Amino acid sequence: MEAYRQEIIVGAVVIYMIFCVITGLWAMRRTKNSSDFFIAGRGLGPIVVSLALFSSTLSGFGFVGGPGLVYSIGVSSFWMIVISSTGYALGFFLVAKRIRMIADVRNCISLPDVVAARYNSEAVRFLIAVTIVLGVMGYLATQILAMAVVMQAILSGTEMFANIGLVTCVVISSAVLIFYCVTGGIIASVYTDVVQGAIMMIAGTLILLTAMSVFDGGMQEATSIILADDGEAMMPFGAAGIMASLGWFFVFGLGLAGQPHLVTKMMMNKNISDNRSILPMSLFGYVMAALLWVSIGVIMRAAVIDGVISPLSLPDDAASVFLSVFTNPLLAGIVFAGLFAAIMSTSDAFLNIGTAAIIHDIPKAIRGHSIKNELFWARVVTVILAIVAASFALYSHFQDATLVAILGAFGWGTFAASIFPVLAIGLNWKGATALGAISAIVSALLINFIVQLAGVVLPYGILGGLIAFVVSLILFIGVSLITKKPELDADMEAVLNI
Amino acid sequence: MRSKLIVVIFTTVLIMAGLLIAIVLADSVPNGAGLPHPEFNGMQAGGDGAARLEHIGGLAFAFQCLLLLLIVCLATLGVAEQRRSPELWAYMGGTLLFSLFVWYQMYSGHQAFLETGTTNYFMGFPVATAWQVYGTWLGAIPLIILYTVGFRKFIFTEEDERKYEQLLADIAARSEQ
Repeated sequence: MEAYRQEIIVGAVVIYMIFCVITGLWAMRRTKNSSDFFIAGRGLGPIVVSLALFSSTLSGFGFVGGPGLVYSIGVSSFWMIVISSTGYALGFFLVAKRIRMIADVRNCISLPDVVAARYNSEAVRFLIAVTIVLGVMGYLATQILAMAVVMQAILSGTEMFANIGLVTCVVISSAVLIFYCVTGGIIASVYTDVVQGAIMMIAGTLILLTAMSVFDGGMQEATSIILADDGEAMMPFGAAGIMASLGWFFVFGLGLAGQPHLVTKMMMNKNISDNRSILPMSLFGYVMAALLWVSIGVIMRAAVIDGVISPLSLPDDAASVFLSVFTNPLLAGIVFAGLFAAIMSTSDAFLNIGTAAIIHDIPKAIRGHSIKNELFWARVVTVILAIVAASFALYSHFQDATLVAILGAFGWGTFAASIFPVLAIGLNWKGATALGAISAIVSALLINFIVQLAGVVLPYGILGGLIAFVVSLILFIGVSLITKKPELDADMEAVLNI
Repeated sequence: MRSKLIVVIFTTVLIMAGLLIAIVLADSVPNGAGLPHPEFNGMQAGGDGAARLEHIGGLAFAFQCLLLLLIVCLATLGVAEQRRSPELWAYMGGTLLFSLFVWYQMYSGHQAFLETGTTNYFMGFPVATAWQVYGTWLGAIPLIILYTVGFRKFIFTEEDERKYEQLLADIAARSEQ
């Protein structure tokens, strides 16, 4: 079997991609209007929503960057995942019920629709839509690049595709992504997410079992090797220190309820009462998949320190080297399919919300109404958005990484700082005002931009995203408290009372 | 009347901002955010753990205590005002105490390691790290239990559901007129 390692891995990835294409074709028959395309007609069951929610949370960053971070900075990065239980809990307490109710009452098909209804403000809709578009470009470009790099690494190991170029890999991987997103919209996206989520859970569990067998003494031997080399790396705050760790706890914990690609999924379930089962199921799936992050990272750092394997050229090679050295080909095939699943499940969610922002929300904020024939234009813009993001990805790789890096700054932290107060607090506090929301969004965008562009480094590893988040929260509540309490429309008043 | 809970949340965030400013202004140490590993490229090391907590350890500990308070307050904000019964407040208070206990065990376990250089292990990790990995994950379980088991009592009661269905029916009737 070992002689056919590359072929088995390629086969697993090809089977997965064929599945995505078939799902796109199936979902196309169920997509009849823009509501189906963007929020699946608010008719999904709890298992589908749970798997879609957690698989969109754990992107390619979780499968490639996560183990790389543990290799690089030790336990510090654990804070991003151990907070997931709190993050999901807050997301459901603060957002899940009321976003679904507002979506129903006002027939909303996007997150900017919901905030525009809540604040009765087109300015808030516009700012949230622009934030989403900027963030989506950065996220999508990095995800597409990651997908192409992994595909090139897999294919170049075979005789037939030994000299395959990165551009070809970008074209192949983007084509599959575009196909099922264009044909089936969010319906294809969530149903591929179901399989993607299942693959990720299986991959995480099998990798943990494999990782525990690398050293005779299991995980404890690996952690004791790291501890003996550098005590701090294996202690709770890791090499990056206490403030970086607590910053991640803050930004990833509270911030989950501000991620547009995740909260949009909370608008798609058929019944509000399904939320009580969606929360634990999503969390369970996430924890199982995240086992990969922890176990590969710890084992690879210990293995290098112990001299079992050579030092890695790049920390992000941790996952691929682990798979090639320590796993059998079948498991490697499943995990590589899981990696593509992780990347695609996040990318399709971003493509969907980015398209909604462009064809639905920005025109509505500027002209007072969205464009005609939304379904047709949704498909056209999905293609354009993916092509632009893929071009950004290639430009970044071959010419200049600055642009994508800047857009990449509009990642999790910016979404958290700009959207969390407006949405998560705003849906639960009638005193929140449009001016408070605008102050929060603008301050979050400005601080993140300035920190990124000026390369500001704060003492003790304090994150720029943490500062942006705290300032945004203060401005949102502070400005709302000193501005006139808004007169809510009767339906909004009723929703906020329930 | 202005909700007192939002004032508590606002005050908590303001104090956290003050603590962040104090940390930024504190004396810095060379390994505050880690150092390059002396042997392996791409790896960072933490170095002297006691030194990097010397000026900010207490401030960071307080920051996390306030963050845990903020999380519990935000979760409570997510429960409709009329459902915030004494029973709910007691439950949320217990949740906060549990989270603070986990955080204290983690922090003090790390301090003990810095003083002695030795540690016990629990399920594959040094004890302090085990509190971080398992304890933090479990720290939110009371909230998840409240949401799932107490859904019909605190989050979306049958009365809420009736009101919501009535609201939808009223909207549908108005749009037909």
